[in-house]
Amino acid sequence: MKTTCRILILSGLWLVTFPCLCLAEPSTLFSQAEASQSILRVDEEIQVAEALTPLESLKSEEPADEEIQDSRIATPPEPSQSEESAESIADPLEPINRVFFHVNDKVYFWVLKPVASGYKGIVPQGMRVGVRNFFSNLTTPVRMVNCLLQANLEGTGTEVARLLLNTTFGLVGFFDPAKKTFNLEKQDEDFGQTLGFWGIGPAFYIDWPILGPSSLRDTFGFAGDLLLDPRTYVFNRPIFYAVRPFELVNDTSLRIGNYEDLKKSAIDPYVALKDAYHQYRQNKIRKK
Amino acid sequence: MLEVLMRPIDLFRRTAFLLLILGMAVPGLAGEPTDQVKQTTDKILSVVSDPTLKPSSKAEERRRRIRSAVDERFDWEEMARRSLARHWAQRTDEEKKEFTRLFGGLLEQTYMDKVEGYSGEKVQYAGETIDGDYVVVKVKIITQKNVDIPVEYRLKKKGSNWLVYDLSIEGVSLINNYRTQFNSIISGSSYEDLVKRLKAKATQK
Repeated sequence: MKTTCRILILSGLWLVTFPCLCLAEPSTLFSQAEASQSILRVDEEIQVAEALTPLESLKSEEPADEEIQDSRIATPPEPSQSEESAESIADPLEPINRVFFHVNDKVYFWVLKPVASGYKGIVPQGMRVGVRNFFSNLTTPVRMVNCLLQANLEGTGTEVARLLLNTTFGLVGFFDPAKKTFNLEKQDEDFGQTLGFWGIGPAFYIDWPILGPSSLRDTFGFAGDLLLDPRTYVFNRPIFYAVRPFELVNDTSLRIGNYEDLKKSAIDPYVALKDAYHQYRQNKIRKK
Repeated sequence: MLEVLMRPIDLFRRTAFLLLILGMAVPGLAGEPTDQVKQTTDKILSVVSDPTLKPSSKAEERRRRIRSAVDERFDWEEMARRSLARHWAQRTDEEKKEFTRLFGGLLEQTYMDKVEGYSGEKVQYAGETIDGDYVVVKVKIITQKNVDIPVEYRLKKKGSNWLVYDLSIEGVSLINNYRTQFNSIISGSSYEDLVKRLKAKATQK
């Protein structure tokens, strides 16, 4: 009972302290409106369709064959057609999301970026990439289980192989010989993708303060993954509280510039980020 | 002897023709579209890597060359049309021209900034899928930090040229992204407001 309580409280705390990995994530090029009536209707229709239709119809949308691209290439999209078929994520919380977007923007420029830049100045890139690999190796259970939950046995096997190879020959995960030598790619799966795989739509967009862009589904996904993450079970207080922020700073140091690029190339950065996040997640769910 | 050679060629042609009729996308490795994309990319990368063009005094010359290479391959009007989507038809010809110019300028500027930051990333061509006049050329960019970035160029055939009308990075389509932004702005305020913001963006650079 005590342990469960602890886990719940810690999960809650992590939801607050785990910062903008997602913010800088879409490495795309790549600021306030109410979606028009028809767009909302299309969104709702898509959500209802996604929620009600079983897995089969979701899968039938995208041809399984990797060679044959999605319908976008077969039917040259006339602008009007492609708009109806291109999904955009519902955003009923837009006013609040915009506030949090602004908060995250400030957190990034005032806190995260300066710290990450300083860290970048001190620690060489090879080391920082190594740290990233190390954490990635640690979170193998998350990817492993989610591959399994998506009936992707090959992926599960790949992750197991990667864990074994990288832990032994890669110095507890610092290096990635699994990829370099054996061409075993990281199977980037998470619980949000698993839920999406089984037909659950994103529902709506949420831009969490500090946590960054997400959706209702992906928020549950994030919480679910916490249970699979070995770092949840570190009971040494100082280490526990240091791990995520440190990982965040390390990751950001490798991604400085992405968020700035997004802002620079966007007319409305809030919408740009929201849409990039949505497309990115949809693509990840579609991909194996 | 020529006749003997012609038969298998005929057979191949007929099969390919059949496949096209059946509407199947014909997967290929390096075909004409990939070659054209490669040509343009190589041209641009050679400009960016050229040591004689590195000094800031040469910036104008460098950009001019990159711009001309990009203009050969990117269909600005098609991109503008798709990004406005259903708002395009309502525009006058003058407005369409203006918008194409503004949006093309924004894209070009963004691309220019990214490309000038090129520092030896490897570009791998990972195949193409042709479907009639449309093609998807898959590219993988391998950064120095050993991250693979999957990029997809979507091209449409115009005459003998394949022209890019969309670019996806990690599954995020550029045109879709702008379409969402533009639609949000037009629905929220007006088309004029969008044009104003585009113009403001251009002067910002």
